[in-house]
Amino acid sequence: MNGGKGGVFTRLFNYLRVFFSAMDKSHRSQVTGMTEFEQKELENLFVLLLMGSFMGVPSPPSFVAAELLPHLEHEIKVLNERAKDSFDTMAEMVGTFDID
Amino acid sequence: MKTIFFTGKGGVGKSTLSAAAAWQLMERGNRVLAVSFDPAHNLGDIYNIKLSHKKKRFKRTNLYLQETDLEKSASEYIKSNMDLLKQVYSYMSTLNFDSYFDILKYSPGVEEYAALTSLEKILKEEKDNFDYIVFDTPPTGLTLRILALPQLTISWIDRLIKIRKQILEKRYTIHKLSGTYDEKGTKLAYTEEEDTVIQNLYNMKDRYKGVQDFIQGENSRISVVFNPDFLSLRESQRLLEGIYDLNLPLGTAFNNKFTEEELEVGNGVEKELTKQYPDLTIERVLLGKNKKTDTYIMDKDLIKSF
Repeated sequence: MNGGKGGVFTRLFNYLRVFFSAMDKSHRSQVTGMTEFEQKELENLFVLLLMGSFMGVPSPPSFVAAELLPHLEHEIKVLNERAKDSFDTMAEMVGTFDID
Repeated sequence: MKTIFFTGKGGVGKSTLSAAAAWQLMERGNRVLAVSFDPAHNLGDIYNIKLSHKKKRFKRTNLYLQETDLEKSASEYIKSNMDLLKQVYSYMSTLNFDSYFDILKYSPGVEEYAALTSLEKILKEEKDNFDYIVFDTPPTGLTLRILALPQLTISWIDRLIKIRKQILEKRYTIHKLSGTYDEKGTKLAYTEEEDTVIQNLYNMKDRYKGVQDFIQGENSRISVVFNPDFLSLRESQRLLEGIYDLNLPLGTAFNNKFTEEELEVGNGVEKELTKQYPDLTIERVLLGKNKKTDTYIMDKDLIKSF
């Protein structure tokens, strides 16, 4: 009887733990999703500013860009990604704001 | 160490005056370095010796002379950048792209950057070796761009640092919640200490701030040279405007090649300049001998101590 009672509680406890950890995860991913989006936007902006001369936008003296170039692999990839996805802004918005 | 930059329109006598000033300062017992940044080098011709990229002592005096080759500095700069690029994109060395980059030395901005780098190098290396460094600069436009470059670059770097800090903040937040990774699964830097980009930006800022602080500081003077004619007056006005805009310390202005015959024009030019800039000291440098007072240009002190 006692064991059975303990079993129920343990099972309940485990169930709740899984439930809350899943909730935690989903909340975290919701929060980080937005922040990640912001981060990517900023990274995109950073490289755009640095290499604006490619598109005819005034840019900093080229040697600043040249000195930073070797450290910007990730950011340039982000820039490429954003450029590739830019034709489908609607889908991106829907994705970001988690609308089904 | 103190520095004097001689600036002005082409042909007004910047090289002659800077050479004369360097000589006088040396005679007064200073260790002096005269550097020519003007692509049309005259310094060696004036002293009648052959000069190069390296400083050369003039006849056992305390005067050293140097002609900075901007083209050479530019190609050195390009080479160092290419080497860095090759390290990163190693496949380029196998494809031998070198020849395609010859054209880079004609890119806009490279000459100014090369001049700035040489200036930075000279200021850093010769700081303790000399009491005075006298610079003969290229004609107005390029000089103003070179002198403006540190300021311009710093304001850009500041803006970039601001954005970079925001990126790092976001990354830090994400790291706290779930970890920051790029596409390949490598951890992204989220602190300023780890982030090579922001460290590089800080380094660059320090470097340009050093040059900027020096050329704006109390140990530096920008001297404007002009002739008694209205064409060089107009250019001097633009130059002075630029110097005031950049907040650079103005030294004595020289009314060079002044003659008694053109007294009226010479006076007119000076009058217009003092009307615009009341605190500007103008020194007349006569072409040849002053008949009344019987003095030559070398008889008077060109550089008042500062």
